[in-house]
Amino acid sequence: MLRIENLTKKYGKFLALDQLNLHIEKGELFGFVGPNGAGKTTTMRIVCGLLKATSGNVYVDGIDAIKNQEDIKRKVGYVPDFFGVYDNLKVSEYMEFYGSMYGMDKKTVDELSKGLLELVNLSDKEDEFVDTLSRGMKQRLCVARALIHNPDLLVLDEPNSGLDPRARFEMKEVLKNLSAMGKTIIISSHILPELSEMCTSIGIMEHGKLITSGKVEEVMQRTQGLQPIKIKAYVENMEKEEAQNYIATFLKEQPLVSKLNYTEDELLVTFGGDEKQSAELLKALFDKHIMVSQFYREKEDLESLFLKITGGQNDEA
Amino acid sequence: MMKHKLQINPILKRELMVGSRSIKMPLLIMGINLLLTLIVVFVMVIAQVNTSVYDYQSLLQLFPTLACLECGLLSLVVPVFTSSAISGERERQTLDIMLTTPVKPLKIVFGKLESAVIVTMMYIIASVPLLAISFVLGGMNWSALFFQVGMLFYLGIYVGSVGIFCSSVVKKSVAATILTIAIGIGIIAGTGIISGVWIGIENYVGYMKYGDGYNYKIGAELMVLMLNPYAPFFDFILRSVSGTSVFELWKSSGKSSTILQTIYRAWIPISMILNLLVSFGFLKLAARSVVATKTKKVKGKRKGNDGA
Repeated sequence: MLRIENLTKKYGKFLALDQLNLHIEKGELFGFVGPNGAGKTTTMRIVCGLLKATSGNVYVDGIDAIKNQEDIKRKVGYVPDFFGVYDNLKVSEYMEFYGSMYGMDKKTVDELSKGLLELVNLSDKEDEFVDTLSRGMKQRLCVARALIHNPDLLVLDEPNSGLDPRARFEMKEVLKNLSAMGKTIIISSHILPELSEMCTSIGIMEHGKLITSGKVEEVMQRTQGLQPIKIKAYVENMEKEEAQNYIATFLKEQPLVSKLNYTEDELLVTFGGDEKQSAELLKALFDKHIMVSQFYREKEDLESLFLKITGGQNDEA
Repeated sequence: MMKHKLQINPILKRELMVGSRSIKMPLLIMGINLLLTLIVVFVMVIAQVNTSVYDYQSLLQLFPTLACLECGLLSLVVPVFTSSAISGERERQTLDIMLTTPVKPLKIVFGKLESAVIVTMMYIIASVPLLAISFVLGGMNWSALFFQVGMLFYLGIYVGSVGIFCSSVVKKSVAATILTIAIGIGIIAGTGIISGVWIGIENYVGYMKYGDGYNYKIGAELMVLMLNPYAPFFDFILRSVSGTSVFELWKSSGKSSTILQTIYRAWIPISMILNLLVSFGFLKLAARSVVATKTKKVKGKRKGNDGA
């Protein structure tokens, strides 16, 4: 659905995007993660036709987004991070206004907006003024507005920014429903646990470059080796200190073990192997008559992964 | 789903809908009519001072006085209407959303202009009953009334275009209002200065060439004033007050070039066409400025958000 090739954006001397390459399949819910200034918003704005790229290509559903901006505008729906309202405009009129911007007549917009407002749980607010809605409701209305022309790709820039937990939950449900309906969605957010829960794939950006991307599980697995294995082990007829030295000496000789650290009663082993190789290491400990009471690699969440990759530069994570 | 038929500009429709729900518009119309009423009363009082009957000559000045006042008010009110046209959309970040739709930037600025001109015409039409007093007293007729409304409509387009241009290049509404008025004054003064300097140079050169015997006559110099958007209005007032026109004044100065005569005879339409072209240029620049956001770094992001 979205293919970005060698996308570069410069603001004067500042390089906001550096040869960015990205591929998002149809129907994916893609989470864009990265610290401030990483280039997420710039990428999104170029995809929506709000910014001109310095070089590179963007294809939405096979159409060159840079050369055919008019066609792209009918294929992409955009939700900015900040929801601006017009005073004295009702929810239904707001939808009608944006529908008419796409050349749709009132009757068509009315029919469509009813369904969309239901989708975002705002059907009972149709006759209320937009500026009286809560922030969460406004953001959901903005999603409904972005869908008025039935776009194939929905781009959301920090849609949960400034929302309370309930509003975030409601927004998450809306996005999950949209994803289930087959819409391709790109979402950037700082609230990483939520992204990992709802996204099918993620991309981590830093300094205008995509550090890693892919299915959430794949990205996690790819970086899992960074997490140490926590081992609690004993050797018969040996004091604690002696046993620790014995085990450490043995582990150091094992392939793929790169680093050893002792906490109070745990041994943290940095091991580059996969699940099977981890099992073999455990077997080797047994064979050496080392009694193991604990042997596990802590599952990494998106937040800690992000912090590890970006060096802890996220504001909220 | 998409129907391509003649549609009212959606921006105009929304602006009028939102504007009509605001108390500002009726308050403005009331305020302007109140001011015009005070002027009418004032002129009538002046016309009766020290006499038991009205001074008819003074009463005849009521129409040009009201016409000039309305022109002045328009020059102040339209910049206020248009100052937040684009900058307001930017502040609300609704401009970005509009730019992601297929609506062209020129259509956006046209919608804004149409809305400003319609609102301005509302207050002008609302003041027609006050102008009608001049019907009873004399000094105006139907054609003068229509001419004046037409002139103010044309000036509304011009000032509105400058206002929207300023709103697209300046972030703050107040700054856009001031810039619009400054550009207006600049154009009026600029055209006056250019034609004045031109006349001065011609005079000087003629004097140096022919000495005291040189008799200066105005030629093409006044044509610069055609770029002054208020020149047709001035010509109109001149006709109302003295029965003469810029063409007659020029003709009386003695030059008789056929081309110049033709141009000066059509002074008003030529000047209006020229100035409408200039105002279209301002709108094109405004549209370009709206699109220029595409090349600028993302600004105005909220705390904690990505700024790039």
